[in-house]
Amino acid sequence: MDYLNMNLWQVRDKLNSGEITSVELTKKCFQRIKDTNDLNALISTCEEFALASAKKIDEARANGAKLGALAGIPIVIKDNINLTGTKTTCASKFLANFVSPYTATCAQKLIDAGAVIIGKANMDEFAMGSSNETSAFGIVHNPVNPNYVPGGSSGGSATSVASNQCFGALGTDTGGSIREPSSFCGIVGLKPTYGRVSRYGVVAFASSLDQVGNLTRSVRDSAIMLGVIAGEDKHDMTSSAKEIPDYEQAITGSVKGLKIGIAKQFFNDKLNSEVRESLDKAIQTYVDNGAEIVNIDLPSLDTALAVYYIISSAEAASNLARFDGVKYGVQAKNFNDIVDLYFKSRTQGFGKEVKRRIMLGNYVLSSGYFDAFYRKAKRVQKVIQKEFEQAFKKCDLIVCPTTANPAFKIGEKSNDHLAMYLTDIFTVPINIAGLPAMSIPCGKNKDGLPIGMQLIAPQWKETTLFNAGDFLEQAIKEGLK
Amino acid sequence: MPKIDVNEARKLAKLSRLEFNEDELTNFVQEFDKTLEYMDTIKKVDTSNVDLHEKTINAKKQLREDAVQESFTQEAIIANAPQSEDGAFAVPITVEEGE
Repeated sequence: MDYLNMNLWQVRDKLNSGEITSVELTKKCFQRIKDTNDLNALISTCEEFALASAKKIDEARANGAKLGALAGIPIVIKDNINLTGTKTTCASKFLANFVSPYTATCAQKLIDAGAVIIGKANMDEFAMGSSNETSAFGIVHNPVNPNYVPGGSSGGSATSVASNQCFGALGTDTGGSIREPSSFCGIVGLKPTYGRVSRYGVVAFASSLDQVGNLTRSVRDSAIMLGVIAGEDKHDMTSSAKEIPDYEQAITGSVKGLKIGIAKQFFNDKLNSEVRESLDKAIQTYVDNGAEIVNIDLPSLDTALAVYYIISSAEAASNLARFDGVKYGVQAKNFNDIVDLYFKSRTQGFGKEVKRRIMLGNYVLSSGYFDAFYRKAKRVQKVIQKEFEQAFKKCDLIVCPTTANPAFKIGEKSNDHLAMYLTDIFTVPINIAGLPAMSIPCGKNKDGLPIGMQLIAPQWKETTLFNAGDFLEQAIKEGLK
Repeated sequence: MPKIDVNEARKLAKLSRLEFNEDELTNFVQEFDKTLEYMDTIKKVDTSNVDLHEKTINAKKQLREDAVQESFTQEAIIANAPQSEDGAFAVPITVEEGE
């Protein structure tokens, strides 16, 4: 039996029934990691720690102890999430030797639920990128076709899940960094409501937009993982005390009466025809099963990307000011004085894209430009938030493509940063509005590359995403293609 | 008209504590111009009625007690420092004797 091909919930049942032990399963995952090493999905593995955790779970299970929702299940976390004693590099040369002195809340919650953390996933440097080509530890290859990018910035997490190295992964999503790679790799990627999951222990990129989420091979798996990582944390004041529903129970198998909002702004003439076709079919499936289509209007949507790059770069410039070459990370060898040490360490440690964002961030924050760019962007953010609020008065869910095109070839956009930024045009508005959204596979193009559909819900309504997402997943399994 | 020139980019690099050579700066200015032109799309949105002080998403008042709590050990924090001395971060001399 091919256990590695199973979904998380399926392997959970196999572990519960005693058909396989966690140690056996974990060893299979490490073998798979070795066999698929060329994809470069992981920056580091923690085999000893993982096998010890698996053994502990197996013993607890044998003793009849009450076990958590992820007991014995191998999971990968993105390399910007701290786990005590492991390297947390953020795929940057700057942090190549940084060893976490503490564990992030989201990782601790995984461990508390019995998950076996097996490795740390490759990513774009400091989560800045849409293709995983900015990693200081090498590019990641799309497991569907290794000549293509896996998306980014959580490209390693997506690749690891899609190539069956693990049963689920944590990623972070500031402007689409979970949803875009999930779409490119043909898996399920969830960006929860801002505040749903603690960011404590996750290296900050743009604090007002960053959110931790998960990447899985099925919607049900996504519901299970969110149930584990969600919740208030005294270490993150933006984390919410809002009650955590039973997400798996939210999957009902019916979309009758569901009001689906369609905004023309997401279906413009730049949309790839095969993507449009797949989306049309998916939407028709909902309609055939009792959902209702409502036309909505998001007139300022096309400005969200500019708003995003202004706000996120401004916050990144501030957040990355802490990397000075003194407290941690690389320190330049030859310098004249303390200020020169800062200059040289940062110049040697950061990659090109990170430097570009720091410069852009400091530009929009500098006197003379602050009002025209930063303050204006914050104002437009409010307008976009209000437009979504208005839209959700008319519908329960908004459906759109995750990206306008399927995955692109490695190197295709690496010399045109604006073209790269434009990849995220449909995902960034959700971070700007603080909403939850999920990308689910809804077809393939003629070259076999996956096409992703994005479901967007009102704040805290991840339940709607899981129900509607699972419904389509089942319909596709039953032959809708 | 270009939005940024090499001199401005040089000043920005200084503020960012980053060094670029002249070729990099020239290249950077060209890229930056394109980016800033794109950013201008936000100008078309009417924001005259926006109140930036309105309650933001998930904003809550949650201040913790200002109480002494256990934190990391000195060893744990210093462990990642490129250079340390007697449990402190070591930096080049910043104040000369007699200054």
